[in-house]
Amino acid sequence: MPDNWGFVAAAYVITAVVLGVYWARLVRREKALAHRKPGRTRS
Amino acid sequence: MAVRALGILSAVGLLVGLVMAFGVAPRETTQGNVQRIMYVHPPLAWVSYLAFVVVAVASVAYLVRRRPAADRVAHASAEVGVVFTGLAIATGSIWGKPTWGTWWTWDARLTSVAILFVMYLGYLLLRGTVEDRERAARYCAVLGIVAALDMPLVHFSVYWWRTLHQPPSLMKPGGFTGSSAILWPLLVNVGAFTVLYAYLLAKRVRLLRAEAEEAFA
Repeated sequence: MPDNWGFVAAAYVITAVVLGVYWARLVRREKALAHRKPGRTRS
Repeated sequence: MAVRALGILSAVGLLVGLVMAFGVAPRETTQGNVQRIMYVHPPLAWVSYLAFVVVAVASVAYLVRRRPAADRVAHASAEVGVVFTGLAIATGSIWGKPTWGTWWTWDARLTSVAILFVMYLGYLLLRGTVEDRERAARYCAVLGIVAALDMPLVHFSVYWWRTLHQPPSLMKPGGFTGSSAILWPLLVNVGAFTVLYAYLLAKRVRLLRAEAEEAFA
């Protein structure tokens, strides 16, 4: 069977991008909340 | 501080997992290098199970004790679980094309996973549509428990029906039967994705708590 590296790359890249975007969204929302209410969120 | 430590641990774990998947694990003889998707797809599926079990346990705890903290854990775990389930479906589909010759087929495993995904999407939508927080928490707790009943169906579907999907790699009677050169990279990735789940869960719970504090301030 051919190696199909394109499919391997697609699986890993999609996983990395989606998890990265979700993580960045959480960080952004935390920062926005901390900015609105300084001292209310703990890091 | 503990959340940050989890984040660092998951980043290191994922990096080690990546090195093991591409540098240590051998090229599989039947599928070739496309089998390396195994080091990401089953770990994502495992975390989906874990996340929805946590939803069910936290939902029961909420219905019994009515503690908002339990509801926040259920909410956060459902959200993270939906992300991981979506990715498990996507990576499975990508793996299916070169090995099965199709992106998708309505076999028992794929269909039951799709139902699981849609149910927890509905769970998150329900939270957004019911305005009263206490009522939303109660409805979602019930849905979180009912939706979890689909999980045994997902897991055992490969045994109960004839499916294109192979039986589980790890969670099966007798355990893993392949070589240790494949087992260790898989275990490292399962561990790394589990720590990543714990990190994202802790981060989301903290955010929900902060949002609740702001709402009541």
